[in-house]
Amino acid sequence: MKRNVVVLAVIVLFVAGLFWAGVHNVRRRHAEEARVRNQQITLIPDGKSGSQAPDDDVPDLRGKQAAGFTLANLDGKKVSLADYKGRPVMVNFWATWCAPCKVEMPWFEEFNKKYAGQNLAILGITEDAVSKEEVQKAVSKTGVTYPILLTDNKVDTAYGAVNYLPSTFYIGRDGTIVAQTAGLGSKDDVEATIKKIVGQ
Amino acid sequence: MRFLLAMILLALPVAQAQQIEGAPAVNKPKGHVVYVPEGQVIAANKATTLVLHFSVEEGFHINSHTPRSASLIPTKLAVQDDPTANVRTVDFPKGHDYSFAFDPKEKLDVYTGDFALTLHVTAKPGEHTIKGALHYQACDSAACYPPRLLPVEVLFTAK
Repeated sequence: MKRNVVVLAVIVLFVAGLFWAGVHNVRRRHAEEARVRNQQITLIPDGKSGSQAPDDDVPDLRGKQAAGFTLANLDGKKVSLADYKGRPVMVNFWATWCAPCKVEMPWFEEFNKKYAGQNLAILGITEDAVSKEEVQKAVSKTGVTYPILLTDNKVDTAYGAVNYLPSTFYIGRDGTIVAQTAGLGSKDDVEATIKKIVGQ
Repeated sequence: MRFLLAMILLALPVAQAQQIEGAPAVNKPKGHVVYVPEGQVIAANKATTLVLHFSVEEGFHINSHTPRSASLIPTKLAVQDDPTANVRTVDFPKGHDYSFAFDPKEKLDVYTGDFALTLHVTAKPGEHTIKGALHYQACDSAACYPPRLLPVEVLFTAK
């Protein structure tokens, strides 16, 4: 009888040990899975594309002085925002892999010519990591002739990280940002906003 | 007989605890693409597969592994070398057609909703974690987002 009790106690201890190990294992795995989930990046929620009122996760730069930059164009020549002092300027961030960007670029080209008399300047900044030649190829397809500048990976930070493409900043003659848009808007909206900066 | 009954009763919670391990992890989507980790058990020392589940948030798409245009960024998975768990190849699912409303003629090859990658692995017995990253580029109907790396850790047991 006494022997049976000892055997039972050993079995109970053994099974309890197994149980503890099982629970510990499950907890550890769940903790590990939770850690993995927490490591996942949080991407930007969908914004109101083409909106002139930035979403919460897009810094509102309207009314602020546009950040200066000096970037190389496709010919390797340095171009600065300061070169356009006193002129209304559109700064458009785009990329070769961004289909909505390439829809509006021909509109910009059209407006660049239409509002040349009011000294409008348009600068495209490509957010690509591809070669200049590949950018040039994409630019040629859009028919754009305004300056295309290559990012230095700092200018986008200066303009609020530019997590949406296309992103466009409309800068008035006094150098302040009058409007900003994220995503593809309508051609009419683009022109209406250009009229705001050229009319100042 | 009484010993046997006692052992069965005591072993029951152990079995229940082990079942919990296989329960799917609840993972609320946080962004455009999320990895849905789940504990997997595979045969050790044999060529077998692990399935990685991902979910693209509604309203967004990412390019498939084989987009139709060279200018588009394909979805890729990079995994770190691990001598105890060798990943030989990764199978990507076929994408499906998608067109932007502003360019209905242009057909893209994309992933939307849930999609899964299959890893062909051979692993030694034990618990493993394969680390890697999903490289993808997302768009919605009117905007695109810079390419991203989504860290992935595949936890599994080889028995």
